[in-house]
Amino acid sequence: MKAMTLLGAAAAVALTAVLAAPVQAKEWKKVVIATEGAFAPYNLVRPDGKLDGYEIELAADLCGRLKIECTFIATDWNSVIPGLQAGKFDAIMSGMSITPKRLEVIDFSLPYAQSGSTFAVMKDSPLAKMPDTGKRVSLDDKAATDTVLKDLAPALKGRIVGVQVSTIQADVLNMFFKGLVEVRTYGKTEEHDLDLAARRVDAVMSSTNYFVSTLSKPGGELMQLSGPIFVGGPLGAGSGIGLRKADTDLKDMFNKAIKEAKADGTMKTLAIKWFKNDVTPE
Amino acid sequence: MSSLIELLGFGPQGWGHQLVLAMLMTLAVSASAFATGICFGTLGAWAKSAHAALPRRMADGYTTVVRGVPDLLVIYLFYFGGSSALSAIAHALGNQGFFGLNGFLVGTLAVGLVSGAYQTEVLRGAFNAIPHGEIDAARAVGMSGWLMLRRVVAPRLLHYALPGMGNVWQQVLKESALISVTGLVEIMRQVHIGAGSTRRPFEFYITGFFLYLILTTLSGALFRAAEQRSARSERRA
Repeated sequence: MKAMTLLGAAAAVALTAVLAAPVQAKEWKKVVIATEGAFAPYNLVRPDGKLDGYEIELAADLCGRLKIECTFIATDWNSVIPGLQAGKFDAIMSGMSITPKRLEVIDFSLPYAQSGSTFAVMKDSPLAKMPDTGKRVSLDDKAATDTVLKDLAPALKGRIVGVQVSTIQADVLNMFFKGLVEVRTYGKTEEHDLDLAARRVDAVMSSTNYFVSTLSKPGGELMQLSGPIFVGGPLGAGSGIGLRKADTDLKDMFNKAIKEAKADGTMKTLAIKWFKNDVTPE
Repeated sequence: MSSLIELLGFGPQGWGHQLVLAMLMTLAVSASAFATGICFGTLGAWAKSAHAALPRRMADGYTTVVRGVPDLLVIYLFYFGGSSALSAIAHALGNQGFFGLNGFLVGTLAVGLVSGAYQTEVLRGAFNAIPHGEIDAARAVGMSGWLMLRRVVAPRLLHYALPGMGNVWQQVLKESALISVTGLVEIMRQVHIGAGSTRRPFEFYITGFFLYLILTTLSGALFRAAEQRSARSERRA
């Protein structure tokens, strides 16, 4: 009897819920975007607690074009993909590179920033004059990659290279430099910068975009970039807006806005403002 | 030095306000988690001291499981697992959208659950430390259960439990840093934001270091004062 009453109550609650909120396709009027808020110049927090950065300004532009209301949530980097999937937010703009691995679990818009990855070293380090410095090398091109790796081998042999864990740069080191260098992983990029300055690592690998700001900060004048600039392969096609696979309509909307922002030069203007170089993807 | 004051001070370019807010958040979430832990701990200690086998087994299971897994895992489980489960239930009932738990609630529950396991052991140990003769004496003079709890058991229990509880509190304060994974802006998350946004990690992480140290030192002193106060009955005895 008691069980029946309980069942009845549950059914009533369910029925009310169904009546109150009929199932319908979601129309995108409001979009919640997650960002780390600690990855300048992509995204950062100002001293007054407000978000700022390339992605924040770009999102304002894109959402203006789409006439939708976008709000940002600042959250921990490790929780952006689980949070997207759990539905805490609808999109990720957090300097997240489009990679085959990530595409297995989420979808991405077209890229809105693409920078290569390279090494940063101390100016007085023997690694300061690595071969092929500044040369763009696509990791999709096997022959070119092999040549460059052969060039780099004598300089890098046995060196310790720092990299942020769970990043595409860590994948590059593990796929192409395994056995040649000792890879040391860090939770945050600024931690490996600190260890580079303390000379606990011989080099660090990150995106050229990231290094632009590292080199412009106090202590950065003692560091410099060295070695080729890698693109493609595990480094992917650049950073895009991370989206749930089911939300293809939202992806189409963002893609349209990204194409417009690229075509009328807005993206380039913002890129130069924040990165000091044009990171607009080709 | 002057740039450091500007960076961490309360001017327009200073992070002082944010850091103070973050410190208060750490304090708030730690206090809530500790209080939650006292509830779990009291229940657990009561169950462990029970004569019946079932509550004893359940309490044993609770302390064994919770103390045996990383706290971070418990937070992730509650924060993402809890949200997914809630949303799934809501969707099954025909509701759209997202039903989540906020970071503060999840952090309080998760850290509270973990600290409750430790508090269970602290309280049980303190309860067992009360000389049985004192309880017999209280019964002999005809005290009712409630009066005995108020006059004899509680003051003695508190006295024996306080040092252990002080340790658990320090542990909770430090574990509150793990809640930063939910995006809750407490000290850990705030110094990371500051470090990442200004690219001045040393200044921010060392600030975080001192903020935690201030909290642990001050609360440690409070616990010591409380211990001395509760020891008054000992001296008289």
